This record gives sequence, C-alpha cells and structure tokens, in this order.
Amino acid sequence: MRPGTVTWRKTGEGAVNPVVGVAAFIAVSVATAVVGFYGLRISRTTGDFYVASRTVRPWWNASAIGGEYLSAASFLGVAGLILLSGTDALWFPIGYTAGYLMLLLFVAAPLRRSGAYTIPDFTEVRLDSRAVRRVTSLVVVVVGWLYIVPQLHGAALTIRITTGLPSWVGSVAVVIVVCLTVVAGGMRSITFVQAFQYWLKLTALAVPIIFIVLMLAGNGAQAVAEADTNPTGLAPTGPYQNISLLVALLFGTLGLPHVLVRFYTNPDGQSARRTTLIVLGLLSVFYLFPTAYGLAGRMFAPGLAESARPDALVLLLPGRLVGGPAGEMLSALVVAGAFAAFLSTTSGLVVSLAGVISQDVLGGSVRGFRLAALISATVPLGFAFMTDSLALAGSVGLVFAFTASTICPALLLGIWWRGLTDAGAIAGMVTGGLLCGGALVAGALTGPAASGSAMPQWLAQPAAWTVPAAFAVMVLVSRATKDRVPRTLTKVMTRLHTPERPLATER
Amino acid sequence: MTRVRVTAPQSAARPVLESRESAEESDVGQVFVRSLIRSQLRLALVVAAGFLLILLAFPLMLGLAPGLADVRIAGIPFGWLLLGAGIYPVIGLSAWLYIRAASRNEARYRDLAEDR
Repeated sequence: MRPGTVTWRKTGEGAVNPVVGVAAFIAVSVATAVVGFYGLRISRTTGDFYVASRTVRPWWNASAIGGEYLSAASFLGVAGLILLSGTDALWFPIGYTAGYLMLLLFVAAPLRRSGAYTIPDFTEVRLDSRAVRRVTSLVVVVVGWLYIVPQLHGAALTIRITTGLPSWVGSVAVVIVVCLTVVAGGMRSITFVQAFQYWLKLTALAVPIIFIVLMLAGNGAQAVAEADTNPTGLAPTGPYQNISLLVALLFGTLGLPHVLVRFYTNPDGQSARRTTLIVLGLLSVFYLFPTAYGLAGRMFAPGLAESARPDALVLLLPGRLVGGPAGEMLSALVVAGAFAAFLSTTSGLVVSLAGVISQDVLGGSVRGFRLAALISATVPLGFAFMTDSLALAGSVGLVFAFTASTICPALLLGIWWRGLTDAGAIAGMVTGGLLCGGALVAGALTGPAASGSAMPQWLAQPAAWTVPAAFAVMVLVSRATKDRVPRTLTKVMTRLHTPERPLATER
Repeated sequence: MTRVRVTAPQSAARPVLESRESAEESDVGQVFVRSLIRSQLRLALVVAAGFLLILLAFPLMLGLAPGLADVRIAGIPFGWLLLGAGIYPVIGLSAWLYIRAASRNEARYRDLAEDR
C-alpha cells in the first residue's frame, strides 16, 4: 500500500499564513522546554535520569505513553490515508490501538517484573548471554532510527506547507529542540513533556474538527462527494495487504523500544496493566479524530487528495473549510499539535536509544547518556535528508513490520517459552531482520519509480511472511541447541510471572 | 481497584517477603509457578483469539450484507461507523476482562504459595 508518494516540486505553496506556522512551532517548543525544565529540578540521580525512579503514577504514565506513541503517522498520516483509501485505511488506527491490547495480554506485566531498564537488558537477563544483548541492542537502534526518519519527514512537510521555508528547516528544528530537552532532563522531564503533549495533540485535533462539523451542520452544507467515492482512482488494497498490515501493527507494537521503556516506570506488574488499560482508552478517543478528518476530507474537500500531499490534509482542512481569522486560529492549533507529535515521538525514541547506546557503548554514566542522545538524534537526520518521504502512515507501518519480525518473537518466546536459547533468539532476530529489511530496501528501490500497484504485494507488506519466518527459525534453532538453555531459567521465569510482594500492590 | 487481603496476622514462621525466594527453590513452589504461567498464557490466548474473531467478523459482516455498509446514521455510512468507532469499545472491553481475570489468577497463586 503506497498510495500517496509525497512530492514537493512546487515551492512556496503556503496555504496557511506563514506567521501562524512559525508562531505555533515556537509556542510548542517553548512549552516543551518549560515543562522539561520543571522536571529537571526533580531528576538528580542516574536512576531518575533513565526511568524516573519508577515513581510515575498510572495516569501520568498512560498520558506519556499516548503522547509518545501518537507520532506523525497518527497525527497526519492516518487522515491522509483515509482520504486516499477510505475504509481500507481505517485498519491503520485499529491496528495501532489493538497492538496495545496484544502488549497488555502478552508483555506488560512480565516485562515490568523482569526489572530490566531496556529491551537488551531483558534479553540478557532472560537468556544469560552477552551476545544476545549485543544483537538486540543493534536491532533496537535500527528500529529507533527507522522510526525517527518519518517523524522528520513529517516535520519537513509541515514546515514546508505552513511557512514556505525549505523543508530541511523543519527536520533540523525538531532535532535541535529534542536534543535540548533530552540532554537537559532525561526521562523524568520527558514523562511530563510527553503527558502534556498527549493532551495538546488531542486538543489540537479535536477542537478544529468539532468546530468544522458544527459549522457544516449549521450551514446545512452539502457534501461535495460521497464518502465512499475514491478521489484519486487508485486501486483498492486487497485482503492480503490488510491482513499483513494488521500482523505488522498487532505484533510490532510489542517491540517498540520507546513504548517498552515506559513500562519500567510503573511501580509493579499490576500497575503496568492498569496503565495499559488507560492507554487503550486514550488511544481509542484520539483515533476518532483523524478518522473524522479523513471522512470530512473525502466528503467536503476531495481535491486535497489530488494535490499529491494527502498527508497535509489535517493541516489544510481548517483553512480550506473555515477560512478567515477563525480558520487561521484553528490552523495554528493543528500545526502546534503536529509539532507536538514530531517532538514527542522523536524525543521518546531518542531517550530509549540513548539509554541503549550509553549502557552498551559508553558505560552508563549521565555524561554518556547525553552524548548518546546527541548521536541518536543526528544520525536519522542524515537519513531523512538522503531519503524521500513516502506516505507517513505507510512508512511507519513498515517500521512496525520490522519490529514484529525481530524484537517481538524474542520477547514473546522469551516470556512464555522455557525452551528459548540465546542461539535461537539471535538466529531468529537476524533472519527476521534480514528478510524484512531486504523487503524494505527492495521496496524502497523499486517503489518510487513504480509506485503503488506495480510493486508485488508481498514485498510492499512483508509482515505476513517475515514474522512467521522469524518465529519458526527461533523455535527450530532453540530446539537444536537445547543444551544452551540458561541455568538461571527457573529463577527468571519465576520472577517474570509471579506477582510482586503483596506490600507493593496493596497500599 | 485495590484488593485488601483479610487474614490472620502473619506469623513469624512464614514471612510474606520470602514467598518469591521459596517459590524459586522448592519443587512444590515451581509446580505452582508453572501452573500460574500456563493459566496466564491460556487466558491471554483466549482473549486474543476472541478479539481477532470479532475483528474479522466486522468486515465479513459488511461484505456479506452489502446494503448494510450504506445505511446512514447521522449522515455517516454504517461501514465507516463500524470500523472507525465501533471496534474501540471491543478492544477496551477485552482489555478490562483480561485484567480482571489475570489478577484473579495471581490472587489464586498467592493464596496457594503462601498458605502452603
């Protein structure tokens, strides 16, 4: 599924007042810095820096998870894809949300009880092997970088459309703000920043669309097109694509490094579950709004799909349908929300990547963490300059496919199957990574030239075969290397699955 | 929801704090742990399977009854409402049921492991 290859051939096509765009970006950055500074005064030790000393309440934590998870793909991409593909694209928000259900069912409490800081920590503890740790760290860093790139593309698109400035300004600005907040405050201030940004994003999407709907209802405006009319004439996606996408999203969420690191800030396994339940509620409410934008776009502004920038639907719709000063105010709100999305997801990823890099390479000190944060933010900036943007929701979907083929099998089998060995975990992650990574590279090479239908479906959405392949290799190699089952197995499995001391939960 | 365990005062012979350590060491403790893991896994698989069945039933329903997708509620086609809003309560309900049952499994384990 690659319906909307965004191309920016025309320059200076600012449909929003440029002053509004710049003001919105500065306001969000300042607010982020202020909330981050407020958190800075509390975080003092290395423990505070990494996981906020595990003292974050479920509501805060859930808002922070929502803030971190709702990226450019959710804020801009979903509505754009719905505009293009109609009900087929509704599987994206469903998958993004249901992925958390899978996380709750299979991962949340055991992972918290493992007591590890990061995913590599977890695999090392579970399999008692440094080699597994190194491979997992490598995969986590690749996933993080792949995931940051679409955020920067989103920022580039937003800056371009709202201010008419060159698109690199957007990516660079996001990286600078993220580096400043992360280096200054670590995870504690990030928790507050992320929680704040969830509510900002929700408000920024909800207020304009509610205003638009009320206005349209008040005018008795007639829809320009039917909801089910396809504005571009692209072929609809087949059932294989939808199923493969669901596999990627359902299993990919389990392994996202920036989401998992949040679970360590829960005091115990029970509260990790409660947090996830609240997250599900927050996501369900949030995704009603991109869906509404997509539907409104289809019915009242189908022309936006033909402009080859469907990802900009959310940014342009308030100006297009409302207009005047009110339209400008609403546009400013949406632009602010979009930047909140890029900033929060990028900073969450940078924190978790910096945690992994600093512990594995730089010795785990606070200084190492800061240096690692700079590295983790600037490398994807290079990737973002070199690559062309695909549809945002689609390219984030591919990152989910990669996670689902690598980290997810290692986590699921590690938590639930006693037979997993370090050799099996490594073989499975490498297989999944190579297959899925190969499909992504092949898709990227053939994609832009022959966009859409010319690419074979199994290459465009690889999760349906790469995920089972990774699981199969992991199980088979573990069976063949039974003597490598770690001696600490009993102890670790007991810790993962038994409830904490009653004192911890019964307060 | 906080669950308060009402029991006789803990005797010095069996402090609660040691329950995890004893579970790791003794054979009986491991039997309880294995049975807890099995029941948690079964529960997770059942909830996941149930949810996926409902998820598949939604598009099937729209496919099998073609007129249904075009029924309009407040101007919005039913197909959009179903996939755009109707699935989320199912996700929330599945999560809530799972959390209740998982906590019950753990409470049962705790009773067994501590009243030994």
